[in-house]
Amino acid sequence: MTPDVVLSLTMLRPDEKLLLTALRDRDLEVQVALQGDLADVVSLRSEAPPLAMIRNLSHRDAVDVARRLECLGVRTVNRSSAIEICNDKGLQALVFARNGVPHPVSCHAYSYEQVRTAIDTVGWPAVVKPVSGSWGRGVTRLLDTNCLDAWVGGRESADAAGKLFPVLVQEYVEKPGHDLRVIVVGRTPVVAIQRISDDWRTNTHLGASVARTEITAEVEKLCAQAVDVLGEGFYGVDLLADKETGEMKVLEVNANPEFAKSSAVHGVDIAGHLADHLADRVRERSEPTAA
Amino acid sequence: MTTSVSAPQCLVCDTAFEVSADWEKGEIIECTGCGQEHEVVESVDATVRVELAPEVEEDWGE
Repeated sequence: MTPDVVLSLTMLRPDEKLLLTALRDRDLEVQVALQGDLADVVSLRSEAPPLAMIRNLSHRDAVDVARRLECLGVRTVNRSSAIEICNDKGLQALVFARNGVPHPVSCHAYSYEQVRTAIDTVGWPAVVKPVSGSWGRGVTRLLDTNCLDAWVGGRESADAAGKLFPVLVQEYVEKPGHDLRVIVVGRTPVVAIQRISDDWRTNTHLGASVARTEITAEVEKLCAQAVDVLGEGFYGVDLLADKETGEMKVLEVNANPEFAKSSAVHGVDIAGHLADHLADRVRERSEPTAA
Repeated sequence: MTTSVSAPQCLVCDTAFEVSADWEKGEIIECTGCGQEHEVVESVDATVRVELAPEVEEDWGE
């Protein structure tokens, strides 16, 4: 029997277990596809399923699976192009700038010297981050030239040939002690949380606490702008406000947001919202289209 | 009604832990003793077999 939804996974974490249960509660037939199952999924041996949800943890695998499924005619909840852009902070900076999405001033740098030059553009303090990375890994705030020299020295000892370039050099935006993570399902922001931390980085993986907050008109507008660029899907949109001006910007968008732990705090059934969205998309496919 | 099934002891600290009866292949179970994550691999003779969950790799993320 052809499943309604393929759920492509690295492993079944509590987030995916919640989603799987919510999908089955809606009478959807779900095929869980771990890495070892992909050869069967990405084959022509049976009818292609109508829809796939990509929850692979590896950025490379997520784009790869989405592309292959799209070539088979399977719609993916986040398009492969959206996953690719979300997995690369540099690509996000480019598409946001091109489409007028408010975003911190950002420059690519392909060498240590270009990092120095880029900071002339974004000013001090500056943030240097790997274009691909999550959970705050490798993200560094440089306060002055002493910090920059230390960053260059440490990095050169691990990457003398500069193979880990490009990096993104970004304007540092002073936050009011928190940023916002907004979960978007389809095109709709379903919950916004403040991520509160004494650290300048507010990743929950680094210990930030969370508190539910209002989805304001400004939050809705910024999320809509991001979704206009990426296409509808399932996203964690990170927004930050300038402590001085109050101006809000899109810092980045994640195509594989985690939700199990935060759902337990804010009480919004993210898995249920997402399952409803998937059910709608499966239904769209099965309904006859006008000639 | 059975709500859990037997699993081997934690592969790190030997604490016995239980797995929900609706376990799925690939599911991640955290040891209640030391917090080590295990991945459910299969069921053999009504006992769920687990392995250590994969380590986080360089390009893993949200």
